[in-house]
Amino acid sequence: MTTHSKFDLPQGTLDLLILRVVALGPVHGYAIAQRIQSISKEALQVQQGSLYPALHRLENRKFLSAEWGPTETGREAKFYRLTKNGEAQLRVETESWARLTEIVGMILQHPQGEAS
Amino acid sequence: MNWLQRLFRTRRMEQQLDSELRFHFEAQVADKVRDGLPEAEARRTTRLEFGGIEQIKQECRESRGTLWIASILQDLRFGARILARSPGFSLTAILVLALGIGVNTLAFSLYNLIALQSIPVRDPQSLVKFERRSPENIQPGIPWNSIVFYRDNAKTLSAMMATLGGASLVLDHDEQRVNPNFVSANYFSELGASATAGRLFDASREDSAGSAPVVVLSYPFWQRRYAADPSIVGKTIHLAGKPATVIGVTSQSFANLGTRAPDVWLPLMQHTYFVDGSKQLDDPKFEGMIVVTARLAPGATIPQATQELLALTNQLRKLYPATIWDQEYIRVSPGAHFLQFDSHAYPILALAGLLVLLILAVACANLGGLLMARGVSRQHEIQIRLSIGARRSRIFRQLFTESLLLAFLGSIAALPISYIALRLVLVYVDAPTWMSAAPDWRVLVFTAVIAFMAALFFGLMPTLQMVKRTRGKTLAHQFVICAQVAASCVLLILAGLLVRATLHTIYTDPGFGYEQVLSVNPGLGAHGYTPATARAYLDQLQDRLRAIPGVSSVSLAFRPPLVNDGIMITSIDVDGHTIMIYPNWVGPEFFQTMGIPLLRGRYLRRGDKNAVVLSESLARKRWPNEDPIGKQWKDGKDIVVGVVGNTRAMELNNTDATEIYYPPTEEYLPGMFVLIKTAGAPEGLAPAIKSITANLDSKLFPTITPLKVGFRKNVAQVEQIATIVSLLGSIAIFLAVVGLLGLISYAVSQRTKEIAIRLALGADRTEIFSTVLRRIALPVLIGLLAGVGITAALSQVLRRMLYGVSGLDPISYLSAMTLLCVVLATAALLPIRRAFRIDIARTLHSD
Repeated sequence: MTTHSKFDLPQGTLDLLILRVVALGPVHGYAIAQRIQSISKEALQVQQGSLYPALHRLENRKFLSAEWGPTETGREAKFYRLTKNGEAQLRVETESWARLTEIVGMILQHPQGEAS
Repeated sequence: MNWLQRLFRTRRMEQQLDSELRFHFEAQVADKVRDGLPEAEARRTTRLEFGGIEQIKQECRESRGTLWIASILQDLRFGARILARSPGFSLTAILVLALGIGVNTLAFSLYNLIALQSIPVRDPQSLVKFERRSPENIQPGIPWNSIVFYRDNAKTLSAMMATLGGASLVLDHDEQRVNPNFVSANYFSELGASATAGRLFDASREDSAGSAPVVVLSYPFWQRRYAADPSIVGKTIHLAGKPATVIGVTSQSFANLGTRAPDVWLPLMQHTYFVDGSKQLDDPKFEGMIVVTARLAPGATIPQATQELLALTNQLRKLYPATIWDQEYIRVSPGAHFLQFDSHAYPILALAGLLVLLILAVACANLGGLLMARGVSRQHEIQIRLSIGARRSRIFRQLFTESLLLAFLGSIAALPISYIALRLVLVYVDAPTWMSAAPDWRVLVFTAVIAFMAALFFGLMPTLQMVKRTRGKTLAHQFVICAQVAASCVLLILAGLLVRATLHTIYTDPGFGYEQVLSVNPGLGAHGYTPATARAYLDQLQDRLRAIPGVSSVSLAFRPPLVNDGIMITSIDVDGHTIMIYPNWVGPEFFQTMGIPLLRGRYLRRGDKNAVVLSESLARKRWPNEDPIGKQWKDGKDIVVGVVGNTRAMELNNTDATEIYYPPTEEYLPGMFVLIKTAGAPEGLAPAIKSITANLDSKLFPTITPLKVGFRKNVAQVEQIATIVSLLGSIAIFLAVVGLLGLISYAVSQRTKEIAIRLALGADRTEIFSTVLRRIALPVLIGLLAGVGITAALSQVLRRMLYGVSGLDPISYLSAMTLLCVVLATAALLPIRRAFRIDIARTLHSD
C-alpha cells in the first residue's frame, strides 16, 4: 500500500494545485490525482474525499468547466478544463503563493527569528 | 445555471457524480491490477482507500451549493414526518403558537389600520391636518375668518378642505334621523371622489351661501333609505324641514377622510340654511367646530407650512384681534393616516406592544418546555445520528428547521384567528367601511418576522440542549410556571369578577327608575336659543307635556341619566383626598320623575337659588360624621338643603358614585333635556310629544329616547367586556396547562430511571408521586399567591368597571383558584401516569 502523505495541505492549496494541473489541458479527476502524485514524487497523495469536493467547488465557482468524453481506454469520463476565470484565478493565486512563501521564508531565515 | 435549475437537474447530477466517482474507482483498480495485484485484492484495497463513498458524494453536493435548498427541503420533509408522528404534540404546539402569534398579529393589524395604512383617497401623502394651539389652548376647530385668510394667502398649501359635523337632522317625516356633514365645495374633488349617481359638489356651483340648496347622499345611506334607487337624483327632499335637491350619491369605495361616512353631505356655505337660527360662519360666536384638512403644495414640507401659517396668523391678529389668541399657532400634522400618534402616545403604544409580546413570550416559554421534554426522548435518535458521523451543526439545523416548521404552521393558523378577531373588533367599533380585516403585506411580513422570532425563542434553547446534552435550568422553568400560574390566576379572577358584575348590573336596582321615563332633547342651543327664549320654551313645553294623559311628572335635567354622551366631572378636596363628583342641573321635579328617594332635608324647589342637593355618598364623604343640612358647599355661596339616595345614573357600574344637584341656572337652559315619567309604557307617547314640539317651534326636531334603551346599551357593554376577559382567561388556562405539562413531562422523563429503580425496589407509587409533585407545588403556590395579590391591586383600578361587586369578592377569587388548581392537577397527572407505566426492566437495561 502506498504511503500517505503526512502533510496537511494548507487551506486552499489543493485548489491551486488542481488549477495548475488542469491548466496543462483537459483532464479527468483520476488523472489529476495521479499527476499531483507523480509530479510531487509521491510526496503528496490527494484523497478522493478532498479532490472531488474541490473539483465541484471550482466548477461551481466557474473556474473550471467540465464535459464528458472518452478516455484513452475508451471509457466515458468527466474532463475538466480551465475557464477564462480559472486562468485569471490561477495567475492571482500563483502570485500570492509566491509572495506568501517568500515572506514566510524571509521570517524563518531571519537570524533573530523575529523582525527587529 | 441558477440554483432552481440545478434543483431540477438533481437527478442527472446525481448520476454524473456517481459515474465520475465510479470511473475513478475503476481506474484505480485497473492500475493496481496492472501493477500485478489480483483483481479481488485490488478492489478491496481501493475500497479501503476510498473511504465512505457516500460521504464524498455528500461533500461534493455541499460544495456545489445546490445543497442548501435541497437539504432544507430534506430537513422540512424530515421535520414534517417527525411532527406527523406525534399529532397530539404538534397540534398543541401549533395552537399555542397560533394564539401567541395571533395576538401579536391582531395588535399589529390594528396599529397598521389606524396608523400605517394610508386612507384610500387621492394622494394621501400630501394631506395635512390643522390644530389651533397656543400655550394655554388646544382646539381642533379653526375660525372661519382664519380659514379664508389662510386659503387665500398660504403658498405652501395647494388646497384647504373644511368640514363641520352637526346634530342629526330630521329627513322628511322619518322616525330615524340622518347624520349630516357640512363640507367645503372642493371636498370631493380634492379627495378624488367619484359619484355612483348624479354629481358631487362642484367648487364653482356650491361655494356661496346663495346657491341652490343641495345634498349628496352617502352610498350606504342611499342603499338603506332609498333602496339604491337612482331616480332619487334630482328630487327634492326635506332636511329639518328645509327643501334641498339631491344631486348625487358617492361611490361605494369613497372613504371620506378616513372616518365613517355620514348619511348626507351638505355644502358648508349653506349651514345657516339647514340649521335654523345658527349664526353665520364668520360670526366670532359661531358655535360649530370647523375642522381643516389641507393639501401641501408640491414640494412644500410641513415645517414650511407651519412657518408660513404662523406668519399669516400674526397678520390675522391685526385684522381680528378678538379672535386670535396670544401666541397662537397652527399645528400642522400629517393627514395620510386614520390616526397620527403624538409622541406622548408612544409609551402607551410601547406598553401595549410589550404586553402582547409578553403573551408570545409566555407561549414560547411553554412550548420550549414541551420541546425540551420531548428532546429527552429524542436523545437516543440524536445520539445515533452523531455517532454515524453527522456534524453537530447539521443536527442543529435539522432540529431548528423543525422549530421553524412549527412556527410557520403556527403563524398560518394565527392569520385566520387574527382575521376573525379583527373583523369582530371592526364590527364592534363600527369602523369605517374602507378598513378591511384582510391582512396586507405589512401584516404578513410582521407575522413572518414574529414567527421567526418565536422559533428562535422557543426552539433555540431546547435544540442547543439536545445537541449539547446539557441539563436545563429547572430554576428558570419553575419561574416560568410561577409567572404562568400568576397570569392565569389574574385573568380568571378578573373574568369571574366581571361576570358577577354583569349579573349584578342586570338584576339590581340602579337607584333610580328608568323603565317608564322618556328623555326629550329639543336641541335649543344649536338653533340659536338664548337663556331667556329657552326658559320660555321649556316652561311651555313642560306645561303642555304635563297635560298629556298618562304623564305622571315632567322635569328638566342638564345631564339626563343613561342617554347623554357627554360626561361632566368636577371635584373637591376633602382632607387631601380628591372626590370626583358628577354635577347636574335639574328642575325641582327631577327626583320624583327619576324615583330618587329623599333621605334628609328637602328636594330642590322652584325658584331655589344657591341651594344644592347631595347624594348620600357625597354627603358622607364630605362630612363623615356631621349633618350636612344647612352647611355651606365649597366657597360658601351654595347651601346644602337636602340629601338624596345614591344613583348610578352617570356610572352604572359604581354604587358609590357621588353626585351633586344644582337648580338650573341661566347658562344651562339652552342645553336642557326634558324628562317625562309615564304611568304606563312610555313608548306610545312619542307622537303626542312630537305634535306639541312642532306646535311650539316647527324648526326644532327634538330627539326622544326611552331611558330603557340607554340602560340596555350600558349593560351590553359590560357583557362584552366580561366575554372578552373570560376568553382571555381560557387562553391563559390553556397556556398554563401546556406549560405545566411540559415542565412535569420534562421533570419526569429526566427521572425515569430513578423512578424505575424505586419501583423495582418496591417503593410506594404515591411516595414517588409526591416527590415529583413537590417540585412543582411551590412555584404553583407562589404563582397563585402572586396572582391573587396582583388582582386585588388591579381590582381597585377596575372598580369603575365592577358593577356593584367588591374588588375582593371571595366567590370570584375562590372559584377561579379552584378551577385553576383542578386544571393544573389534571395537567400534572398525565405525564406522571405515563411514568408509572414504564417498563421497568427495559428502562433499567437501556444504556
